Amino acid sequence: MKEMTRLLVVDDEPDICEFLKSFFQEREFKVETALSGEAAIAAVEKFRPHVMLLDIKMGPVDGLTVLKKIKEKHPRTKIIMVTAIETKDKIEEAIRLGADNYVTKPLSLEYLENDVREKVANLALNA
Amino acid sequence: MPLLKKKPLDYQEALRDIAKSLVRLKRPERLLKMITRFLDKELGIEHAAILVLDPAKSRYTIFDSKGVRKLPQSLLRLDPDHPLIRWFQPSRKERNHRDKIKEMESLRGFVSRREIQSLLNKGSFLDDRPELKKELIEVERSLKNLRADIAIPGHFKEALVGILLLGEKLTHRLYTKSEIQFFQTLVHDAALAVKTSEYHQRLVERNFELETRKKELEERLREIERLRKKEQETYYQIMKSLAQQVHAKDPYTFGHIRQVERLGIMTAEEMGLDLSGKRRDVLSAGLLLHDVGKIGIPDNILKKPGALDSEEWKVMRTHVEKGAKILEPLTDFKEVAEIVLCHHEHYDGSGYPRKLKREEIPIEARIVSVVDAFHAIVSTRCYREGRPVAVAFEELRRAAGTQFDPRVVEAFIRAMKKQLKHS
Repeated sequence: MKEMTRLLVVDDEPDICEFLKSFFQEREFKVETALSGEAAIAAVEKFRPHVMLLDIKMGPVDGLTVLKKIKEKHPRTKIIMVTAIETKDKIEEAIRLGADNYVTKPLSLEYLENDVREKVANLALNA
Repeated sequence: MPLLKKKPLDYQEALRDIAKSLVRLKRPERLLKMITRFLDKELGIEHAAILVLDPAKSRYTIFDSKGVRKLPQSLLRLDPDHPLIRWFQPSRKERNHRDKIKEMESLRGFVSRREIQSLLNKGSFLDDRPELKKELIEVERSLKNLRADIAIPGHFKEALVGILLLGEKLTHRLYTKSEIQFFQTLVHDAALAVKTSEYHQRLVERNFELETRKKELEERLREIERLRKKEQETYYQIMKSLAQQVHAKDPYTFGHIRQVERLGIMTAEEMGLDLSGKRRDVLSAGLLLHDVGKIGIPDNILKKPGALDSEEWKVMRTHVEKGAKILEPLTDFKEVAEIVLCHHEHYDGSGYPRKLKREEIPIEARIVSVVDAFHAIVSTRCYREGRPVAVAFEELRRAAGTQFDPRVVEAFIRAMKKQLKHS
């Protein structure tokens, strides 16, 4: 049997985590969620996600910090930044720190799904 | 178990209530929130959500969502190419196509996920319509993503303004026809409210903009008016003080200049001269200040009881230049200075100081000349008794064409006669 893709959703809003979790679960993903930067860093070690959806704006450990830490230790983990603030410098900073892509809220589920699948396909190619 | 959580819903009554609120609400946000809250509270359903078109970005976002399985706010958007949006905004061709298919009647004016599922399951009619089938599959999937059992479009003049999404009933029963009709009415009214308020909002904004501009303009006009008034006050202040100085030196002119001013304006009016704006001020100032140069004439000449000799006349005549010199440095008095300088010029060119002729002499100066002469004739001066008005008229007429502009003389006499008749 094919290994299920593991997806970690990181957002400080439980509604959003829960929604995206059920959305991707219905699409045969194995999904975990984390409600904070700290929880995300811990979850990565345990869950070893293939792909992460990472909210930029969180406190006290924000998405950029999490991104940096995880990319240092697990550079192969694909990270898609999710951001409500469409500020250019934050996005640029994220890309500079190694983010694989970004989506802005409000987001289109269809585009997001495509994006995630694309990243999974990349992983498979490079495996 | 009844369909509804609490009591059977009287749709008519609910509708009336909402319609009433609709009228009250200028801001539809409150209406939309009220609708989701109402539906979530009154119907036992998983969730109720309203998607609204963001006209600036031509996409639909979740305006409000309530219920146990509510959609997270501000996370999702539906772009114009989203299956659900495309379904509710079909091209005319697509709509005609759909309308011809009998099986599609069950999906007119709304979509139901379970209805689509059953169509897909039994729908042999779809076998020859792969595109429609694909569309239906996509719409069904979109509804599932949005946790919706049914979706009801809100149109306004063909444009899709928003969508009402309703999750499944907690009982998992289907929505009834009358319920769906109720929702449709609700959504229709809400779309209307959103659109009218958008329209209203635009009007308000536009009005506000116009109002602001109008206020700015009024403010500027008031400022200009204020400056003009202040300027005029200063102007008159200066004239008054100058004129008073002349009085102080030449007591016989007591009462003279005020009279001269009045008669001069009267004459100008009689002639039909343009006295709008500054023109009146300039004429007034010329009339009031024509002798201002007499400040610089020695008392022994100015107050001499007898006739002046030729040397004395030479000095006396300098008062026109002296007067012009006094006024020239004041920017607003350039024209007045010219009048003062010219008020002893004669119509035929025999006057002083520059021997100007006819229209070379400013009209104001020609008026000053006539009025001043008349006043001198009728006033009691230190060197002779005043003479009656009729004699003065005669003298003016005799000098019309030589010393005076005949038009001014005639206008002056007409104006004087009118005045005498009235007094």
